[in-house]
Amino acid sequence: MFTGLQNLWHRLFKPPQQLVAFPEVFERFQDLLHDHQKIMEIIADLGEKSGGDYVFDRKYLLDTVNELHSLLLRLVKGLNLISGNRYVELYAALDRILLPLEAELRGRLSLTEEMPYVVGLKEAPLDLPELVGGKAGVLMEISQRLHVPVPDGFVVTTRAYRRFLDHNQVEGRIHSLLASWISEKLDTMQVSRQIQYAVLAGVMPQEVAREIRREAQAQPFWAVRSSAFGEDGELSFAGLHESILQVPATGLLEAVKKVWASLYSPGALSYRRQVGLLGEEAAMAVLCQEVVASRASGVVHSLDLEAPESDGLVVYAHPGLGRTVMEGRANLDRFLVERRQPFPIRTKNIAVKESYRRVAPGGGEEEVSVDPEEQERPALAEEDIQTLARWSRTLERYFKRPQETEWALDEKGRIWILQSRRLTPPQPSEAPDICESCSAYPVLIKDQGAVAHAGVGAGPVFVVSSDQDLGRFPEGAVLVTRYTAPWLAPVVPKAVAMVAERGSPAGHLATIAREFRVPTLVGVENAVALLPAGGDITVDTHNRLIYQGRVAELLRYELIQSTAFEDAPEFRLLRRLLKRIAPLNLTDPQDSNFTPEGCRSVHDVIRFVHEKAVQELMDLPRFLKRFKEARVCTLISEVPIGLKIWDLGGGIDPQARGTQITVAQIRSLPLQAIWAGVTLPGVWSTEPVAVDFKGLMASLTRTLGDGMSAPDYLGINLAVVTETYLNLHLKLGYHYNLIDVRMDPDPHHNHIYFRFVGGVTDLTRRSRRARLLADVLSRYHFKVDIKGDLVLARILHLPQEEMRRRLIALGQLIGFTRQLDMQLKSDEDVGHFLEVFVQRLEPAGDPQSPQGGKDGTEQVENPHPGR
Amino acid sequence: MAQSKLKILILDDEPIVCKRLKPSLEKQGFEVDTFNRSFEALQAVQNTKYDIIITDLKMEGMDGMRFLQEAKKIHPDSEVIVITGFATMETAKESFKKGVFDFIAKPFNLSEIQRVVMRVEAKIRGTQG
Repeated sequence: MFTGLQNLWHRLFKPPQQLVAFPEVFERFQDLLHDHQKIMEIIADLGEKSGGDYVFDRKYLLDTVNELHSLLLRLVKGLNLISGNRYVELYAALDRILLPLEAELRGRLSLTEEMPYVVGLKEAPLDLPELVGGKAGVLMEISQRLHVPVPDGFVVTTRAYRRFLDHNQVEGRIHSLLASWISEKLDTMQVSRQIQYAVLAGVMPQEVAREIRREAQAQPFWAVRSSAFGEDGELSFAGLHESILQVPATGLLEAVKKVWASLYSPGALSYRRQVGLLGEEAAMAVLCQEVVASRASGVVHSLDLEAPESDGLVVYAHPGLGRTVMEGRANLDRFLVERRQPFPIRTKNIAVKESYRRVAPGGGEEEVSVDPEEQERPALAEEDIQTLARWSRTLERYFKRPQETEWALDEKGRIWILQSRRLTPPQPSEAPDICESCSAYPVLIKDQGAVAHAGVGAGPVFVVSSDQDLGRFPEGAVLVTRYTAPWLAPVVPKAVAMVAERGSPAGHLATIAREFRVPTLVGVENAVALLPAGGDITVDTHNRLIYQGRVAELLRYELIQSTAFEDAPEFRLLRRLLKRIAPLNLTDPQDSNFTPEGCRSVHDVIRFVHEKAVQELMDLPRFLKRFKEARVCTLISEVPIGLKIWDLGGGIDPQARGTQITVAQIRSLPLQAIWAGVTLPGVWSTEPVAVDFKGLMASLTRTLGDGMSAPDYLGINLAVVTETYLNLHLKLGYHYNLIDVRMDPDPHHNHIYFRFVGGVTDLTRRSRRARLLADVLSRYHFKVDIKGDLVLARILHLPQEEMRRRLIALGQLIGFTRQLDMQLKSDEDVGHFLEVFVQRLEPAGDPQSPQGGKDGTEQVENPHPGR
Repeated sequence: MAQSKLKILILDDEPIVCKRLKPSLEKQGFEVDTFNRSFEALQAVQNTKYDIIITDLKMEGMDGMRFLQEAKKIHPDSEVIVITGFATMETAKESFKKGVFDFIAKPFNLSEIQRVVMRVEAKIRGTQG
């Protein structure tokens, strides 16, 4: 698939050609927009598929990536055709992004040169499971995403492992030994011993050793654990790989090698052969963490295995270090806790503890006996039990399966999570009929809305209608809301489920729901009215049902399913692919990183291509040359900005003659709408000084004409139009405003891109104005990015009437911003002007919808799944 | 429940398809057996009468088309739902002018298949009652 890219590169890289004629550029541009749109749809589609409502297989992923591949090639080719091959580096960017995608699809590790040998647990990126392995990945999710504390430490990455193998040239030897094993020339023990010997005898490469030593200085002793790639997914390598506790800092290098070698222990080898993984690449990261000198330790089972139907969880605790707990040698306190807020303790069974192990003053461990009168003292205080219960449920909610979680309480009374893994409850011998059990509960809502993230969750209804409600949102409640606005984000991790009256599975809330794996239905009409505030409900997205009450049978049924969809290989693969496809890193075209080299995802590439294509179209010196052959008219209007209109077909009345046209002769729908806004009476004057727009325009053009250091192309205001397209380029005063609109009958083709930069005053005031613009645009549900005084806004996929409403507002905004930067003297003014402007907008605007969109529209943009 | 449960057989060599469909249909009140290999599914069909058969077409070994022919020989009144890749949809429809209740293109969402299954159920209950 990739062969030939190089050839293509060379074939395309010829000396800059002569300027392509504008009609051809425009045609290419339309194709390019079309492909851009198609890719945006695929990205949104993939994001939606990752929410769990769809059933898809690996083939679908392969086909989709192939389709993306051909679209991207065409897109990049298109841009190079328009620009005379000024962006051939994009082919290299495509290789950089697509090759790892292909590797992912083939199940290969894709490690690159930039990846670190050693990375801190708190800093390590969450999107590189291949780099840090399963166990470290889980702990990073627990600490970075769920904000549950885990002991600090670092990961010696799979890249370090690779480097070690290369350095010692043992890979070939491993392969030939494994081959002999498969062909039964050697038995398991022989193969294991020989490979392990080869690994242990290897020399740690200097660059890796240096980084490990640097990190090792932080602590005298370390807990060193395996973190194999693929571990903790559907496959459990529990206990097959090495974990070494109490490793002195000076012994870390040897310990790391021991853990690497354990990848080839007899047990691990047999297991990999048994589950058909021998053909896959094995790679091991090593997790090194601070040793918690624990006053008490134990495990939590998020579900009571002895009575799964009793809705209890169990906290086991013992004084001292945890090893005796895990090895099952200690007498443990057993606290049975209600699985619900506020986690009342049902029963306490306190064990008699005669002795425990603790960290010895000089390192190592020692056994200590307990005074007789202390032997029946509980190892854990009640509030700590409740904290653990809460965390245990948070973990279960996120990982979707009952959890067995190791914890430790340190000398300062802080609790740490050491590990968490899936707890498999016994399968009930006589499974109750789930359909019958559920039918006993009243159904509140049925077959409504769309699934943003699949799953089942139960809790009390909490309606959020403003950001004041956010602070009161209780952990474990069901979030019910009218809107799907981004400001809901902070409470999403606390919710057991979400129901929104608006929104789409491709929208913002859906993206966040997926990141935190919160079962979510969107577009459920009347949810706020139908769901009883404060009352318990159970949301089941799989069957799109919302029950009154807690359907305990259903919650248990979900928990004992073999695999959570989030952990199915296809979904994991999709999420890994999405990490390389969906995130948008290049938002600001002014940024120095806005280059082909800066593209890190498919989304970046298409963003870059789109921006550059628009620029190409708007590149005025080139444009002016291209102008020569075009028929350009000047618009006669009460707003005297001398707008030049270039009609590419259907944009102006065919009867129009000469070089001037009137507003009535505009046929281009987007230009009509914008101009309707620009020429609306009474929107220009802003308090405190009423300014006549004509006068303002005139004064500004005059001022600029007087030879102030005006930027280039002053006063050339251009509109390239067709019946449904507008590319408007305004240079009014010092503002530079670019609006690109497509306004088809089919909403899927439609977009408004808005860019605004520059101004006459200092940067602070210009930034203030940028914020004001952003506020106004947000009210119209644009997705807005601001950086300094640059405002980028876009909105997609709206029907024509909705587009028109927004274009009229943009027209008003164009006039309004003319004088703003001179008047915004303080930050408070922003709010004031917003008020004034919005009041004036009311006839065209929508004063009732503060955030969410009365029309329920949401952009299919920026899916960002699971970032 | 007043009516006896309808039995559904799901055959797809991609385990994910079976894993996702089974719980969702069980909650709708069906008895569901799933298979990843066609010969195992065929053995099951010989022992049990399934009211509804949901099968993929492209599979290793005996493909879905052969499986359906064999299954229909044993129980002609089993209703069949074919799930198939989007690309092969038209060919699939062509090959089964009759004998298939409906086709569903992959990827599909759960409510799509739930709806089709409910329609089959209505048909079966209708003819029985």
